[in-house]
Amino acid sequence: MLKVEHIYKKLGDFELCDINFKVEDGEYFVILGSTGSGKTIVLETIAGGYNIDRGNIYINDVNINNIPPENRNIGFVYQDYLLFPHLSVRENILFGLKTKKMDRSIMNEILHKISSILNIEHLLDRSPLTLSGGEQQRVAFARAVVTSPKILLLDEISSALDPGTKKKFQHNLKKIHRELNTTTIQVTHDFNEAIYLADRIAIMGNGQIYQIGTADEIFNHPKSKLVEDFIR
Amino acid sequence: MSKNNYKDILFKVYIFIFITIFMLFIILTIFVVFQKSFPNLASIIMDKEIQFAIKLTLYTSTISTIICLIFAVPIAYGLARYDFFGKMIINSIIQISNSIPPIAAGIALLMLFSTKQVEYMANKLGLDPVFSVKGIILANFFINAPYMIRILKGTFEDVNPKLEFVGRTLGCSVWGSFFKITIPLAKNGLISAIIITWINALGEFGTALMLAGAIRMKTETLPVAIFLNLSAGNLDKALAAATILIVISIICLFLFECVQKCNTKKVNY
Repeated sequence: MLKVEHIYKKLGDFELCDINFKVEDGEYFVILGSTGSGKTIVLETIAGGYNIDRGNIYINDVNINNIPPENRNIGFVYQDYLLFPHLSVRENILFGLKTKKMDRSIMNEILHKISSILNIEHLLDRSPLTLSGGEQQRVAFARAVVTSPKILLLDEISSALDPGTKKKFQHNLKKIHRELNTTTIQVTHDFNEAIYLADRIAIMGNGQIYQIGTADEIFNHPKSKLVEDFIR
Repeated sequence: MSKNNYKDILFKVYIFIFITIFMLFIILTIFVVFQKSFPNLASIIMDKEIQFAIKLTLYTSTISTIICLIFAVPIAYGLARYDFFGKMIINSIIQISNSIPPIAAGIALLMLFSTKQVEYMANKLGLDPVFSVKGIILANFFINAPYMIRILKGTFEDVNPKLEFVGRTLGCSVWGSFFKITIPLAKNGLISAIIITWINALGEFGTALMLAGAIRMKTETLPVAIFLNLSAGNLDKALAAATILIVISIICLFLFECVQKCNTKKVNY
């Protein structure tokens, strides 16, 4: 279980204010908010990209405030995918497993399995620079999940896709989540995506979380005027 | 022909005239050196003094470039990645040695290593640079390191820090992500910086002259060989040394252009 407790973080003029939520094991948690609301900073803070000013983050009751990103076992996929351009698709996917010094045969087995699920087997020897947006996204997703992270953080990963590819990917995402049961936090500004994927949704704006609940609770019973304004 | 077309052509002719004049100036200058040195070049290259100067120039340039690289990589990375108090002042101080005239830098270094305490320390560490080969290396390092830092700072700034962060979420330490992600992505910038620094070190004269002196067959690099032979009226040897320096520099410049071209191709892929 991930527990984020009363987090404060000041970054220039922007401030994360009293961010407080829990994500159960295997849950699909979506943070929904407009651009500039601080959603990505929340994810980066959980992954260890920033030292927090106040508050605590726990994974399975272990405080991870002072644990460096490499030891948190958290997978991260950015909006712009950020594949390593100097490595092939295969090397990108195997990057985390090589760092863990895993046995070569096990690595190849995992690579084969994930690339077949995501339908990227034919791309393995290509350079990331030659891939389309949808292909890059699947490779970045594969790279993040092959290390079997405790928590998977997805930062608006389908925002740059065309509607058809997006729908297909969301369907795959749901399928993979059911299969792997990895605790997932996704950031998005797409209401339909949030409703389709999320077990629970957090509405965020101006560095604060306004309301957390199921899609029904959020969209049918908004607790404040701010949430109501946002979802209308 | 419309009025606008006429203005376009005039503008291009204006640019072309300046390019032509400047190119002719450079080509003529190099041509004169080559023409005058060519008849005796083969025999002069075999001369002991010139061979010594070639070897010493290549040695001091290579060693000083390696030392520049050792210092420049962490400094440039720190300046590119981290925000800290006094960063601007540190950046300015680092660039001072590259901005002051070489002769002034040389005399400043000579004064520093002539003070009792520093001289004692340098001797203890086996780094006595005054009138020695070590002085040439130190002078090259003092003048060229800021230049390398400036190039590498720009190179590291071009590498997206989020790539390093993704590397860390995949299990790399800060060192691991630096060596597995940042350095490979900065490879072309690093190669360019090494080539430029090495070329600059080849021709470094003023600072090294002040600190290491111009001692025949001891601190005689190719620029010093030009100076000594020209002063002694031995024009053939001076021209031969200049020709060798020019040829090496042109080859390096060609390599530099190849690296740049390769870099542009990758970016536009």
